[in-house]
Amino acid sequence: MTDAASAQESLEVMLKDEIVRMYQEVADNPKGAFHFFHGREAAELFGYAPEWLDRAPAGAVASFAGVGNPHERSNLQPGEAVLDLGSGAGLDAIIAAWRVGPTGRVVGVDLNPAMCRKAQAHVAATGAKMACHEGRMEDIPLPDASVDVVISNGVVNLSFRKRRVVEEICRVLRPGGRISITDIVSAKQLSQSIVNDPKLWAS
Amino acid sequence: MFRLLEETGFSRVRSAVVPRFRFRKESTQNEAEAYGVKAVMMTALKPV
Repeated sequence: MTDAASAQESLEVMLKDEIVRMYQEVADNPKGAFHFFHGREAAELFGYAPEWLDRAPAGAVASFAGVGNPHERSNLQPGEAVLDLGSGAGLDAIIAAWRVGPTGRVVGVDLNPAMCRKAQAHVAATGAKMACHEGRMEDIPLPDASVDVVISNGVVNLSFRKRRVVEEICRVLRPGGRISITDIVSAKQLSQSIVNDPKLWAS
Repeated sequence: MFRLLEETGFSRVRSAVVPRFRFRKESTQNEAEAYGVKAVMMTALKPV
């Protein structure tokens, strides 16, 4: 392994730890002050229907840390299979489960096994079902062509290997499947000091 | 991201800015604006 590859790998390990720490903190301490909007305030800002937020478990709403509303254009239909990539505390998975109904299927993938358990509990509390797998978006733990739709909210930007993530999304989608993703993009190359700082990158 | 989706073979790639996205802290928001950071919604299809 080259020095550059080794340095990249070390940075990715640190980044993974920081992502787990930061989003666990949002889930554990939803009243905390973060530099991003979160919880119901953020969900309302992005146009989530108030009736969804009233109906979803309070813990799922309070821990919401998305950057937009992937449901706005997902056009989910009853019976579809949906992957929520980076499912967090489960609010987007819950809404997806309501929209695809009992004949549909929602699968979550999250880096943090504790968040997976939390999301599954939140979904179960609504009477819906969701399987959540601990895993990395660069190696999605799902078979090829196994879902109709991939939704994701503020997650892909956290990866150093976005091309790999997009290839994985493409792999797990069935032919004719679609994505509805909200995420953060940057028009300019971020400075090396930001790239090398896991705290800033995870933000 | 838009380019990556097209290069990976997705079709009908569309993106739109999330109009109400902003950081809570003014200093973070200012820095984000300096880098052209924004939230976007992307949709695309995997060809049949």
